[in-house]
Amino acid sequence: MKILVSAKRVSDPNARLNISRDGKWIEGDVEYILNPFCENAIECALQLAEAHDGTETVAVGIGDDETARFIRQGALARGVDRGILVEADEAVIDSDVIARIYQGLCERERPDILLLGKQAIDGDSNQVGQLVAEYLGWPQATFASKVEIQGDEVIVQREVDGGLETIALTMPCVITADLRLNEPRYASLAGIMKAKKKPLDELEMDDLDLDSTDPKVRVVAMSTPAGRKAGVMVKTVDELVHKLKTEARVV
Amino acid sequence: MSAFVDALASRLPPGRVSIDPADLLQYGRDWTRDWTPAPSAVTWPRSTAEVVEVLHISRHFGVHVVPSGGRTGLAGGAVARQGEVVLSLERMNRIDPVDELGQTVRVQAGAITQIVQEHCERAGLTWPIDLAAKGSSTIGGNLATNAGGLNVVRYGHARHWVLGLQVVLASGEVVEVGGALEKDNTGLDLRQLFIGSEGTLGIVTEATLKLTRVPGKLDVLLFGVDGLPAALRLLREVRQGAPGLLHAFEYFTDFCASQVVEHRKLPWPLRNRPHAYVLVELEAPDAAVLEFWLGVALGVPGVSDGVVAQSSKQARELWAYREDITASLSAAAQRHGVGAPHKNDVALPLALLEAFCAELDGDWRQTRKAWPLALFGHLGDGNLHLNTLPPAGLPPTDWPSACATADRELFALVRRHGGSISAEHGVGLVKKPYLHLTRSPAEIAVMRAVKAALDPDNFLNPGKIFDP
Repeated sequence: MKILVSAKRVSDPNARLNISRDGKWIEGDVEYILNPFCENAIECALQLAEAHDGTETVAVGIGDDETARFIRQGALARGVDRGILVEADEAVIDSDVIARIYQGLCERERPDILLLGKQAIDGDSNQVGQLVAEYLGWPQATFASKVEIQGDEVIVQREVDGGLETIALTMPCVITADLRLNEPRYASLAGIMKAKKKPLDELEMDDLDLDSTDPKVRVVAMSTPAGRKAGVMVKTVDELVHKLKTEARVV
Repeated sequence: MSAFVDALASRLPPGRVSIDPADLLQYGRDWTRDWTPAPSAVTWPRSTAEVVEVLHISRHFGVHVVPSGGRTGLAGGAVARQGEVVLSLERMNRIDPVDELGQTVRVQAGAITQIVQEHCERAGLTWPIDLAAKGSSTIGGNLATNAGGLNVVRYGHARHWVLGLQVVLASGEVVEVGGALEKDNTGLDLRQLFIGSEGTLGIVTEATLKLTRVPGKLDVLLFGVDGLPAALRLLREVRQGAPGLLHAFEYFTDFCASQVVEHRKLPWPLRNRPHAYVLVELEAPDAAVLEFWLGVALGVPGVSDGVVAQSSKQARELWAYREDITASLSAAAQRHGVGAPHKNDVALPLALLEAFCAELDGDWRQTRKAWPLALFGHLGDGNLHLNTLPPAGLPPTDWPSACATADRELFALVRRHGGSISAEHGVGLVKKPYLHLTRSPAEIAVMRAVKAALDPDNFLNPGKIFDP
């Protein structure tokens, strides 16, 4: 079996971001982390590989040289067998181009399962898994909270509104990982050492024979959330209750 | 006694005095629970002049004074048990604007440590004393106890980060010691006399703190080691070879980790459970250099495995295995039917730490095999915390005397290895009976002479550290 898994870097939600002067992108030094949902996808791929002998795991990152570091430390150091970096300018590509890249990679690598994070925590688009399943004509299971292989089928428990749904898919298929799928392991020191020697192929978009590389979405404007307003001191409980009723309108 | 309280109430502005039993209980003690608080009153002066006034009134009525900060101490230094008046500085919490060029800030003694740090961080600066209690502890308390904490290996103790103090002496006289000068080589350094004196020599009312830049990105690593000797070999490698600045070097045994895993419902941090863990925090200049060094660290004999935090979230998760030990042990103590674990805080010269631990594992441990023992601490400073819980089957009433015996034997061992019986918690009431095991008769005589010179009537925080 072969599993292709995403290793996308995202801006660290704990770090401060500066919006560029034209209001369309982020500027200055940005602290990056591996997308937490990709960490769940990677952990899932590793657990499936541990449970099923002869499974190859391949991690994919899309971006520049810095992205390669996240493939190595976030995926290969945890135990993924090899990596692929597709070079692209993240400021330009949209979810559709990323889906096309995964389509091209799947046609080239022929995995049994494409495992992606359900969304990136910076862009929050939640589109790539669904689009690539459509382009490939593969079945998909989004928001997975449990994944098991039984015979020729993958049994996926999905987080849906108000409960859980369990579905069976034929392979090849697309699965997107939700937060409760698992508890991602730490990258071990031994793993980090081994990861240095693991293969990491670098591809350009032209290598993949894509149908389209034109983005369909353009960033028009970005803005930071409005700052918090200063609080007011109240003198009595009655005044507090009055303000909650008339101004905040919460009681 | 009521005449005393009446005098306080009438000579101070309103809202400065309380004899409410709940206040007396709360303000009459710190985090220790070994003594019954019994102060006669609690006062909250709001200015240095009001502190002076409280001292004058208290002296007139012959009431002793216990200065009080955030009351997070572990040595009983802020306990008032003999009708003293508690002089709480918590309402004196003014923080002046940061002097960004001089890298200093002037604060009143009651300012909360963490609030001071957040205030300075807006200027990219910090007061680098990082304590578990920083959300409650005050600058005055930090200075009175010469607080240490998690980053002593990089920054040293509180006493390294003070330029000047305003102190109210037992006589009521206000003195400014030091100013905002980095260099002032004119006679005795009086600042350092008051810092760490646990409120026995004077009451610190204001301080000019020395600041430093907020550290950059910190890398957090957790190593599995097969024992203390391996942890010490790793310390040597980290100090000599690791890239960047060492920010923390913490040691804890598998027993400590097991308490945190159970109490906080966390997964085990490493795949195979090692004998002990070392948490290393570094300010490394570059990821590639750090990665290269990890190979060297993994080659240190006895270092079995390790993990590296890949994000600030993972860094916090790894720190939890160390920082949550105290809370997890307190929960375990309550399950064992005692209020808190029995705590010790010793320091050893690094060169003798291995021999000390080997002996500790000998007779001391062998006679107490059934005692759950949590060994952890700031190994980079030679500082070990030993926390014990009552063994199953021991009646709770026998526990204090069993601990007293264990302490005497432990301190004898500490003394033989040239250590200290209180690395960072101070002496207060808890360690007072054992001071002679750490300090020589000549040293204690000098301390008594200083106390007698500054507070001849034993008026400030009497009964703490030593008896006059």
